[in-house]
Amino acid sequence: MESTQDAASALAEIGRRQEGVIDRVNVPGWYWWLVAVGMIPVGFAADTKMARIVVPVALVYAFIVAMVSVWLIVGGRPGARVSQQLLGPAGAVGIVLFVWVVVGASLGVAFGLQAAGFAHPGAAGTLVGAVLVIGAGPLLRRWLRRTMLSNRA
Amino acid sequence: MIDRLDPIIHAPARLSIMAILAATEWAEFRFLREETGLSDSALSKQLSTLESAGYVQVRKWFLGKRPRTSVKLSRSGRTAFDAHVAALRALVDRVPSESPSVPP
Repeated sequence: MESTQDAASALAEIGRRQEGVIDRVNVPGWYWWLVAVGMIPVGFAADTKMARIVVPVALVYAFIVAMVSVWLIVGGRPGARVSQQLLGPAGAVGIVLFVWVVVGASLGVAFGLQAAGFAHPGAAGTLVGAVLVIGAGPLLRRWLRRTMLSNRA
Repeated sequence: MIDRLDPIIHAPARLSIMAILAATEWAEFRFLREETGLSDSALSKQLSTLESAGYVQVRKWFLGKRPRTSVKLSRSGRTAFDAHVAALRALVDRVPSESPSVPP
């Protein structure tokens, strides 16, 4: 017969294993720096207002971020993808909001400075976006961790 | 009424594997091995048991020239795991007069 203590131990084991998964598949700290620093050349390229410069720079940036993201998920280290159930609607909304805030702040600053006649509005806008990513990215990561822990079995 | 515990899931090694898989969309064999601390052969054996029960799906594929094995919880596996967790919680929360049992 199963004792209450055995059942509690089994539940604790499940909790430990799932916390281990959440901690291991989290985005490493350097990822935010890659995303942030990579934005700035895109801003400088946008300031040239020349499509033949903006498009390749933006594509290279998107390609590098995409490749690193894929590598983090399935590539160079033992992988697993966290369950969408753990992330939940709140986690998904949080990620979308984060992207909107970064993009919105970058574009808002860029257009505002452009209207004010600033010489490099694109670079300034992406610099603001980069600072937001570096500052708020790890905060988002910690919040997502808490959200996933509260959604686990 | 307290649900019965699932004997396939309740074995310690398989409980760990199922807990990890329940937290993931999929996990690679290497990931499971490192998280559980099981040897390759022990992990393979436990995964075979879970696969025979229809609780997990095992997929072999290649990343470049390197073979990879990924494992995911099946729908029936998730249902069984959720039921098992509910049964464990019921055991922990049970009133003294109730007497749950593990099926043979």
